[in-house]
Amino acid sequence: MSDEGAARAEAPSPLIRMRGVGVVYPSAQGPVNALTGVDLAVADGEFVALLGPTGCGKSTLLRLVSDLLRPTSGQIEVRGQPAAAARRANEFGFVFQEPALLPWRSALENVRLPLEVVDYPASDRQARCESLLEMVGLTRFRGHYPHELSGGMKQRVAIVRALAWNPSILLMDEPFSALDELTKAQLQDDLLDLWASEKKTVLFVTHNISEAVYLADRVVVMSAHPGRIARTVTIDLPRPRTADQRETLPFLALVREAREALRGEPATLTTPTTPTTRAS
Amino acid sequence: MSTQALLVTPAAPIESMLQRFGPPIVILAIVLAVWEFLVWLFDVPPWLLPAPSQVAVRFTRTPTLWYHTGLTILEAFSGFAVSALLGVSLSALIVHSRFMERGVFPYIVVSNSIPIIAVVPLLTIWFGFGLAPKVMIASIITFFPIVTNTTRGLKAADPRILDFMHSINATRSEIFFKVQLPAALPFIFAGFKIAASLSLVGAVVGEFYGSDRGLGYLVITSATQLRTDLLFVSIIVLAALGVGLFTLFGKLERLVIRGEVDTERPT
Ligand SMILES: Nc1ncnc2c1ncn2[C@@H]1O[C@H](COP(=O)(O)OP(=O)(O)O)[C@@H](O)[C@H]1O
Ligand SMILES: [Mg+2]
Repeated sequence: MSDEGAARAEAPSPLIRMRGVGVVYPSAQGPVNALTGVDLAVADGEFVALLGPTGCGKSTLLRLVSDLLRPTSGQIEVRGQPAAAARRANEFGFVFQEPALLPWRSALENVRLPLEVVDYPASDRQARCESLLEMVGLTRFRGHYPHELSGGMKQRVAIVRALAWNPSILLMDEPFSALDELTKAQLQDDLLDLWASEKKTVLFVTHNISEAVYLADRVVVMSAHPGRIARTVTIDLPRPRTADQRETLPFLALVREAREALRGEPATLTTPTTPTTRAS
Repeated sequence: MSTQALLVTPAAPIESMLQRFGPPIVILAIVLAVWEFLVWLFDVPPWLLPAPSQVAVRFTRTPTLWYHTGLTILEAFSGFAVSALLGVSLSALIVHSRFMERGVFPYIVVSNSIPIIAVVPLLTIWFGFGLAPKVMIASIITFFPIVTNTTRGLKAADPRILDFMHSINATRSEIFFKVQLPAALPFIFAGFKIAASLSLVGAVVGEFYGSDRGLGYLVITSATQLRTDLLFVSIIVLAALGVGLFTLFGKLERLVIRGEVDTERPT
């Protein structure tokens, strides 16, 4: 898998690339244009937030990337291969808005579920699950069933379940939107820690502007009817991100820029950085 | 305040058993005593209404009772087992194939609306007077609740878990055994509980027609000979079997199903 680094130095090929992607759902009221003309490139190790109102096709986009859904038009490539190949190679870890744990499995057994499926060496499973639960502070709760865990704990289990076999891409569909503010802030920081230590590429769907700005390298703002990418806002805030940053002027300026993009307003003249530069 | 708290602390095992089973036993004793007294008072003939004591005596003086009971249990259980095996497998097929669902489900619904009693003579013509037709009736009558409940249960799996399984390229059988089947267990047990009592009904109905053994035979002969005490004995045994099976499946369910309904906390 060694790339000819020299030849590609100026433009490293992205990990995920979508070109002219459209999805039309058939429905009783006629076809629904869920996505049109989506062009998106995500670099290896990048944290990209997809921000948009309900119904703009954010979930659809994640399902496309993970090959749970085929596009009506356009191409999706992961590592230069069709998305299906990446799915077969177990490259995707999916996290949903609801924890979606199996109620008859303990926390540890829920984390073990994907390891039983992806050919993870059986002898290493227990230790791997234990270290994952330790990472999110749930060692004491490994034997507890989901109904014995709080909402935040369940979502932590769901997140490490999606990391268990070390997939390279984490797909998260509004994972924190059902949590209270305090738990949400805590999990956002935990996620950033995990992302920093595990070197994942993250596609993070949210309709919370401040969450998108806080977490991401780049916020892809989407709009509905038809679902499409409206604008991309590069978040050049220093890392590691801390809660204090939420109050700083650059943060608030980026939040405002993203909000204006959501409203469909053109980029304002006060935009701090040159809007066309890509994160490099 | 503190004395009140003391009063409601969980009782000792024997005490709590008494609290739970005491009242119904007392009520039963009263009902039986009144019944006994009325039969004596009005001198009711035993063929019309035997006294509880007469029924009890008949119960102890019917040595063949356990033979008949055993046979009926065997038929009911065999019918149930066949139905459970075929029913759960068919449900798995239905859930995995749109064609099977559309093609088979209408017939399952139709089969359920055929009065089973009308089928008994037909099965007797085909399969004679042995065990086979009774087992078949028990399995036909239990098939519907098993298939419908199991199918509903297999479809009850969380769609996001299914998405998760697909996203990690899980095979159909992995999805079935790790997600769909466990998710269906509460539904399957609900179906089994209904089917358990129905299987007894099926076996007994089968024995009504053309049989010289089993509890159904005992019911029919004691009725035609006006041996009402024996009729009562048969009915009581059947009722006890029904309750016993229901309890058994309840216990099995609690053994098999983990999480959610469980209140015990592993430490
Ligand atoms: N299976 C489906 N069939 C028909 N329409 C769908 C289906 N899934 C989503 N849609 C429609 O496609 C649009 C985008 O949906 P979705 O990707 O769920 O948006 P989001 O996640 O941003 O809320 C919505 O208008 C939705 O109603
Ligand atoms: Mg969505």
